Amino acid sequence: MTVLSSRNVVKRFTEGKQTVEVLKGVSLEARRGEIVALEGPSGSGKTTFLSILGCILTPTEGRVVVDGHEVDASRPGELPAIRRRSIGFVFQQFNLFPALTALENVEYSLNVRGRKGPAARKEAERVLDAVGLADRTSFLPRDLSGGQKQRVAIARALAGAPPLLLADEPTANLDSVAGRQVLETFRDLAKREDRALVIVTHDPQVRTIADRVAVIRDGLLAA
Amino acid sequence: MVSLARRNLLHDRLRFAITIAGVAFAVTLVFVQVGLFLGLLENASVTIEHTGADLWVTSRNTPNVDFAHTFPETLVQRVRSVPGVARADNLLVWFMQISLPTGTQEGTLVYALEDFAAWDLPWSVKEGRLEDLPRGDYLFLDDSATRRFGPFAAGEYREVNERRLKIIGRTVAARSFTTTPISFVDYGLAQELGSQTLRGKTTYVLVKLAPGADLEAVRAEIRRRLPYNDVFTKAEWAKRSRSYWVANTGIGLNMYLTVFLGVLVGVVVVALTLYTSTMEHLKEFGTVKAIGGSNRDIYRILAEQSVIAAVLGFAAGALFALAAAPGMAKAGLQLIITPGFGAAVLVGTVLLCLAASLVSFRKVAALDPALVFRG
Ligand SMILES: Nc1ncnc2c1ncn2[C@@H]1O[C@H](COP(=O)(O)OP(=O)(O)O)[C@@H](O)[C@H]1O
Ligand SMILES: [Mg+2]
Repeated sequence: MTVLSSRNVVKRFTEGKQTVEVLKGVSLEARRGEIVALEGPSGSGKTTFLSILGCILTPTEGRVVVDGHEVDASRPGELPAIRRRSIGFVFQQFNLFPALTALENVEYSLNVRGRKGPAARKEAERVLDAVGLADRTSFLPRDLSGGQKQRVAIARALAGAPPLLLADEPTANLDSVAGRQVLETFRDLAKREDRALVIVTHDPQVRTIADRVAVIRDGLLAA
Repeated sequence: MVSLARRNLLHDRLRFAITIAGVAFAVTLVFVQVGLFLGLLENASVTIEHTGADLWVTSRNTPNVDFAHTFPETLVQRVRSVPGVARADNLLVWFMQISLPTGTQEGTLVYALEDFAAWDLPWSVKEGRLEDLPRGDYLFLDDSATRRFGPFAAGEYREVNERRLKIIGRTVAARSFTTTPISFVDYGLAQELGSQTLRGKTTYVLVKLAPGADLEAVRAEIRRRLPYNDVFTKAEWAKRSRSYWVANTGIGLNMYLTVFLGVLVGVVVVALTLYTSTMEHLKEFGTVKAIGGSNRDIYRILAEQSVIAAVLGFAAGALFALAAAPGMAKAGLQLIITPGFGAAVLVGTVLLCLAASLVSFRKVAALDPALVFRG
């Protein structure tokens, strides 16, 4: 089942008198249980593309359908609801809340997604257990290693069962051993929980867990 | 529910403490300034509030109870004959000279009645028997006079308008707005002390209504019979006496100005600390937005933080003010903080802190969640 579908996505940025076309017509699809690696040199537009898939930016042209919802660029007010319902994010910088424990980081994101109370706490415990951090739930981010932080972030993205997971350079701030573990966690969970996963990266390790590799260069997909 | 708002406040304790201190400062200032103001104003009408009269007949255009003007004392007869009047008596309030043992002269505000007990005046007697007053050249003096006149005791003599009077009693809590000490003497004696000026004259007629009498009807009838006097209810007369001082001295303006400045400082401190905190947590707010948080979620965080700061700051400020009250009372300054006033300050504090958080909210509402992908 297709969770993500994007057609001929074009993105232009205008700064003053200058306009740059960062994406020149990119199409990508992902199905449940599928892991797609999106590679490309720095500045090629990977993050911009991922932001559009994640309904954080809107495309200048083209169509994006997430989990059956067509993204309407003229109604940006509807984007947060799509993100809440259907998308889990993992960032290069982890972006955990420093004042919250591992468990609270996950639980809080469930609260934002509209799930509250003991059910949210249970779900948070479940996903932390799934990423192998059952014994670190009450740790603050500063007391966790980089790899553990990223696994908390993966748990946060998984919580609430969004069908689409998007990760931007999730291993870039980790050493290769920790990066390896994080990727394996990603692969196991995406498969076991049947999520579509798009990982933007220039880390060659990512290929080893991907079902498909797409390469972006100068704003276009290279086969 | 996980409260990011509370966790972040506890995470930056120092700044949180500064925010609370800012609120507490403003709250203390408001309580002390307004409390002092109310305390001063209460002095302006405290004798009116305690006198057991329903209506006060005054000379026309008397501005406040201290600045009394005379009118013929026989008018009291006309008041007594008004249906619905249970009792009406003359009250003299007059400024007189008192000579101290040191030889210096001071002023005293003399209250004179024939039957003090009938009007609950003075309402708080510490020493002496009121019914002795008509029996000689006697005087009751309020304890607050000690500050101006030095220590005194029952049995001592003081010269009032050049006549030797014996102090036979002490009262407490009888005060005038001008801080002129209040003394009580017999009505006839007061007229003698006032010689020409007070001969056959009074300054007020106190009126007590019969049970079931209609106040407005009685008042209208007194007005008809005494067309050259004013007739006030107790509440009106108290208000008139207080308003005079607010309108004719700087105390009202002074209070509003200090309160305004204090509140301004408080709001600026809260807005600034909340804003710097928001700026430092901008990436977190971006993350909240990225994971689907709406502007409402964001505002709830900021609002929760400002309400917590408001409530804690209010509690600290109120405690400071209450702690300061006894010390100020020793210095002769009474602080009046009523529950209603306290509640109004709490509501005002919360609303102003919420308003202060709007500065931060505008910043976060305009935040582009795409920043979460940037280093
Ligand atoms: N908000 C923006 N405004 C203007 N230019 C942007 C903006 N975001 C990205 N770009 C430009 O788009 C290009 C691609 O950036 P990015 O998507 O971050 O690349 P990558 O993630 O592949 O390194 C860069 O040249 C960058 O300067
Ligand atoms: Mg990038």
